[in-house]
Amino acid sequence: MSSPILAVHGLEYVYPGGIQALKGLDLTITKGRKLALLGFNGCGKTTLLLHLNGTLKPRRGTITIDGQPAAYDRRARTVWRGRVGLVLQEPDDQLFSASVYQDVSFGPLNLGLSEPEVRARIKESLDALQIGHLAERATHMLSFGQKKRVAIAGILAMRPEILILDEPNAGLDPCGVTQLLAALQRLHALGTTLVFSTHDVDLAYAWADEVAIFGEGTVLRQGAAVEVLADRELLRAAGLKAPLILELAQELLGEAGDWPTGGPPRSRAALLAVIRATVNRLQANREVELFCQPRRVGLLKSKP
Amino acid sequence: MLAIDRHAWTSRWQDRHPAEKLLLGGGLLLISITLPPLTTGPLVFVIMGLATIAGAGVPASAFLRVIAIPGAFLLTSAPFLAISLNFSHGIRLSFSPAGLETALQVVMRSLAAVSCLAFLTLTTPIIDLLPLLRRLGVPQVIVEIMLLIYRLVFVFVERATSGQQAQAARQGYSSLGRSIQSLGLLIAGLFQRSLERARRLETGLAARGFEGELSVLTPARTLSRPRLVGVGGVLLAVALAGILLDRVTP
Repeated sequence: MSSPILAVHGLEYVYPGGIQALKGLDLTITKGRKLALLGFNGCGKTTLLLHLNGTLKPRRGTITIDGQPAAYDRRARTVWRGRVGLVLQEPDDQLFSASVYQDVSFGPLNLGLSEPEVRARIKESLDALQIGHLAERATHMLSFGQKKRVAIAGILAMRPEILILDEPNAGLDPCGVTQLLAALQRLHALGTTLVFSTHDVDLAYAWADEVAIFGEGTVLRQGAAVEVLADRELLRAAGLKAPLILELAQELLGEAGDWPTGGPPRSRAALLAVIRATVNRLQANREVELFCQPRRVGLLKSKP
Repeated sequence: MLAIDRHAWTSRWQDRHPAEKLLLGGGLLLISITLPPLTTGPLVFVIMGLATIAGAGVPASAFLRVIAIPGAFLLTSAPFLAISLNFSHGIRLSFSPAGLETALQVVMRSLAAVSCLAFLTLTTPIIDLLPLLRRLGVPQVIVEIMLLIYRLVFVFVERATSGQQAQAARQGYSSLGRSIQSLGLLIAGLFQRSLERARRLETGLAARGFEGELSVLTPARTLSRPRLVGVGGVLLAVALAGILLDRVTP
């Protein structure tokens, strides 16, 4: 069991003007995991993320890094932001330079690295997101998906231990999401801890190790994705729907217990495999026959 | 302006070292301003046109369009240089050969100078010149502000355009009165959103360790010695040809 690198406890935050965005929120970020923060718009996800790299300071509650309470002086925050990289939802909020290369160079330069090291990191992070060919392009001539990846590359170049992404899939087409997830998966394989906020339950179910379900300014429950997302009451309370694949699997194959692969399917391919395996097993045992008609597909009990 | 910027980013010479382009454009500019214009002017104009169109691959139409506006001003105002006004015996307009020559000189000199600037703007994105400015001793703060303005102008134009389209889609510009009202709302909204954006940009920069200085690296570009020598050769040749031809012609 690995230890938490970043934990918040009893976090409260009130925006100027009196809107209380966080109301005693707890969250633990464990090293090497993929954590999804799930909740509807305006439930405090982004506000929390801004606390996780020290941009906002909580009114009440504690944030601990490696078990030590976080400090907010200039030097401590610099170290903090070197370890925790935050990618904002809107790439235009982050890309300040008109050239991709210049923009990506900004973070590592702020870490005080030497010029050759910075150049190496720019190349490395652009390659990691497969956008090396965009290096000499103008930021304002990129598509939204490209901008988003450049924004992530700008953070990656700082080699954070924890990479936090605010709604990484928002506004991307399915192909863009797939590419992004593949890139993130590669980073994760190299040891980066990932935290991302989303309201896409299916994405969280398919991809996260852990999920935290948000209520209004609090975390209702944090735990293993497969367990937490099977809790329908909780999801209903949080204004979320159950993951489609899980729901389909349960509907077709009965409640949990006898999943052929050991756990409920988490991807489209896994779901299809489970259905195929189940049908094959039933047919082999002659418990059912596959019944096919142009307008109806179903399973019928064999006649004795 | 947006079209010029687009060409600058996509020109074939975009990744050439900016100093090479600055030397060529700036050098010819200097020549066209200081040396006899009637001979150097056309030479400079042709060389800049060739460099932009044949060299950097910018469409000829773009080059001509950049020249067109200052060119039109020139052509409408130059004839008046050839005409002199005389008040000694009532008002008399007269046409002087000396005036004609001045007018020709002004036109040649200006067109040549404008073509140099067109070459620079069409082949070099403005921010590529920022590191050079920095090296020439322009304060960091000013360079940073230029960098930010350049980037944000595009974000601003994008927002303004989409805002205007959204208003137009809801009949915001169907009459003069409504247009004025819509435009006012748009400007007020843009102002507010710009402030908000600035705040969010600050957050984004802070996440990347912003401590008050926007230092950035530009892609490493090698100064090519052969190209520099070539540029030097061109400058020298144009200067010599300009002077010699001027001596030869009466």
